Amino acid sequence: MKIDELEKLESEDVSTITLEERRKFLKLGLAITGVYLGGSVLSLTSVKSAKANSGVVVEPGDYPYNPHYSMIIRERLCVDCEACKEACRTTNNVPAYGYRTNILERRRTLAEGNYETTFMPVLCNHCNRPPCVRVCPTTATWKDEKTGIVVMNPDRCIGCKTCMTACPYNARYFKEETRAVDKCNFCFDTRLSKGEQETACVDACPADVRVFGNLADPKSRVYALVHQPETMVWVLRPETGALPNVYYTNA
Amino acid sequence: MKHILLFIVLGAFLLAGALLHATNVQQPTEPEIAAEEYDEDEFGPYDPIIWEKPVKAVIFDHKVHTMEAGLDCDSCHDDLFEMEAGVAQEAEDFTMASLYDGSYCGACHDGSTSFASDTRCTTCHIGVRGHARLVGGGADASASSH
Repeated sequence: MKIDELEKLESEDVSTITLEERRKFLKLGLAITGVYLGGSVLSLTSVKSAKANSGVVVEPGDYPYNPHYSMIIRERLCVDCEACKEACRTTNNVPAYGYRTNILERRRTLAEGNYETTFMPVLCNHCNRPPCVRVCPTTATWKDEKTGIVVMNPDRCIGCKTCMTACPYNARYFKEETRAVDKCNFCFDTRLSKGEQETACVDACPADVRVFGNLADPKSRVYALVHQPETMVWVLRPETGALPNVYYTNA
Repeated sequence: MKHILLFIVLGAFLLAGALLHATNVQQPTEPEIAAEEYDEDEFGPYDPIIWEKPVKAVIFDHKVHTMEAGLDCDSCHDDLFEMEAGVAQEAEDFTMASLYDGSYCGACHDGSTSFASDTRCTTCHIGVRGHARLVGGGADASASSH
């Protein structure tokens, strides 16, 4: 290497970079960041999933169905009398080993060693994007186009139980009698299609915990409760992005 | 010299162990009153009363009301409740609506003497699950067999 030639070369260390050049470099970085940010906000995320992350309650007027059957559960009023469960059993011929609706229980510790029990009624959430429907290999379960109810055709079910695994709410069970998976259908075949306005569980509840109705109808009670001011409305497991139609409140 | 070092190390270990053990000891808690020490003649039956009508299931604990809250037998008997367990639930008016009007439990659970009947539901309503836990039975067994 020729040292004398090297010594004539201009230094390339940072001290020789002008202020102008530094600014240009920073601007380029900002521009790239801006393009990425703008892209992910504006174009890379579809409107549908952007909405899914904005909140658990759909904006009025955006309900995909009419009637958009939905249930809101006033959780703190539930006393686990299980009249709903019994009514469901008799109405929908549910065997003893399974359930279409269930009551869960949890405990919260209060001051001075006391505790408070909360009972949580659960059932099929009739999701707007039902994971169970997506995984069914024989299209034995689907989302009813008119009412939004997630229905089952037991004749088409091969009993692979994939839907039971896919359901985030554990709302499906395998019915030995029909050799098919069974689930809540808001009493569509047993009551709603016969002109009844409420499901069997709602009818049986002595504490008015469950409120059922058409969410697309602004005059319905379920609409009023879901859009009630000064309270909180939540759903179970919102992170799955399934957009459930069973809401919970303490109002 | 070596021996002294060994003793010091061992001593330090033992001391540390003893200190850790001492801080770990549970604070003595209020001993639960055993069934034998509880005077049923003075405070009423030891076992809780469980109502199953009109909804399953509601618990009433004599101990909480007499021994802990200081009520006498004649605070409730025989005006509000018969002495015989389970008589009240056969009555037509043994409902929450009656309680709000000051009958039965509602005589005290009115919001001023004690918490109001239309609040803190699950304090008394233990449900089918709570009932199954207390008396045992099929309700819980069938619920968990999915």
